[in-house]
Amino acid sequence: MSAKDYVVKDISLADYGRKEINIAETEMPGLMAVRAEYGPKQPLKGARIAGSLHMTIQTAVLIETLQALGADVRWASCNIFSTQDHAAAAIAAKGTPVFAVKGESLEEYWDYTHRIFEWPNGQYANMILDDGGDATLLCVLGPKAEKDAGVIADHSNEEEQALFGMIRKYLKEKPGFYEAIRASVKGVSEETTTGVHRLYEMAKRGDLPFPAINVNDSVTKSKFDNLYGCRESLVDAIRRGTDVMLSGKVAVVAGYGDVGKGSAASLRQGGARVMVTEVDPICALQAAMEGYQVVTMEDAARTPTSSSPPPATRMSSPSITCGR
Amino acid sequence: MKNNAIVANIGHFDSEIQIAGLKNFKWDEIKPQVHHVEFPDGKKIIVLSEGRLVNLGNATGHPSFVMSASFTNQTLAQIELWTNGKSYKNEVYTLPKHLDEKVATLHLEKLGVKLTKLSKEQADYIGVPTAGPFKPDHYRY
Repeated sequence: MSAKDYVVKDISLADYGRKEINIAETEMPGLMAVRAEYGPKQPLKGARIAGSLHMTIQTAVLIETLQALGADVRWASCNIFSTQDHAAAAIAAKGTPVFAVKGESLEEYWDYTHRIFEWPNGQYANMILDDGGDATLLCVLGPKAEKDAGVIADHSNEEEQALFGMIRKYLKEKPGFYEAIRASVKGVSEETTTGVHRLYEMAKRGDLPFPAINVNDSVTKSKFDNLYGCRESLVDAIRRGTDVMLSGKVAVVAGYGDVGKGSAASLRQGGARVMVTEVDPICALQAAMEGYQVVTMEDAARTPTSSSPPPATRMSSPSITCGR
Repeated sequence: MKNNAIVANIGHFDSEIQIAGLKNFKWDEIKPQVHHVEFPDGKKIIVLSEGRLVNLGNATGHPSFVMSASFTNQTLAQIELWTNGKSYKNEVYTLPKHLDEKVATLHLEKLGVKLTKLSKEQADYIGVPTAGPFKPDHYRY
């Protein structure tokens, strides 16, 4: 390993991170049981996993589980704001290459997402553990760009601008990189709804270069993480961000899938009066049967001075809206 | 929307709120991941995590216990693809139900759950094995 094969905000946070990881282990019985059951057999020996998933305390326990099963990993966050810097520091301090800083730029983000594929001895990752599909995207879009740089000529948003810029850099400095990672990777497991949607689109187009396991649609994932996870973490975020009193406020949740169900429950348990918007009649009916008022965003956002909606649907001030 | 309405997204990408459009207005950082956005009429909204997923941007994401279930699935998927990858085509698969039930089982004891065991007679009556899977693949929970 090179002298410093990681990028974290502050390596001195490692002790703090380690203490929280130790606590988290007692709350993660599934991962600890997997370590006990599979650890001796080392089923992931030889696997070089490129991990692209929020670098949190919980992810630290996942990383160390994969390592306990024999895997070699390199890790980056899959969102510029989602890293917990003390978790990243604790992982880096143990010698695991991790590239994650809360508040990193989009350029840094795409740089880090590339670096998880590159082992110091010149080898490439042979597995992807993905959340949102960005690591997989490099194995699909990259080889296309190597054949025809036109596919990355025009960006439509700042995310693509940063991504295309980084791909252009690799095309110039490391010709053949993308075809090499595409050929090296044997499979991907994908964490979330968005990434799974991308995978099915790739498979439909015949673009998927390796087998994929959709982890999101395990019942013990989407019916738990997406639902009960959001039920706890949504109001946690609103309170930490704003300190606003939720009781009595009117909240609007856009969408009533698993995440929307958890989000609506989160706000309701916080004492907010919750409305839901939906395009899907089944989900709309579920929301109504659960006792939520199902409205359009136009009606929900209307002020008390406008005429049509009944008083209960009028947004109080301040109001809360949640995408999803 | 009312003045100081809070706007947040808990989905994966920042496209669910039209952040690019809001960028045309005046942004004022109150603290990291908390911004006031001022409309031309002087009305403000509070945007969390610049429209990116709010629970990880403004808090610490989901608690450990529920992530254990998700990540146990991830680990089982990695084992399956790494040790048995040749039996898969370049398509998208889900884990078989017996592994889903295994993940759930591993989280029961921590919560003090006492699971009822099916007798052979009961299992035969509803047409499932005593050790599961307990539901057909089309069951939606």
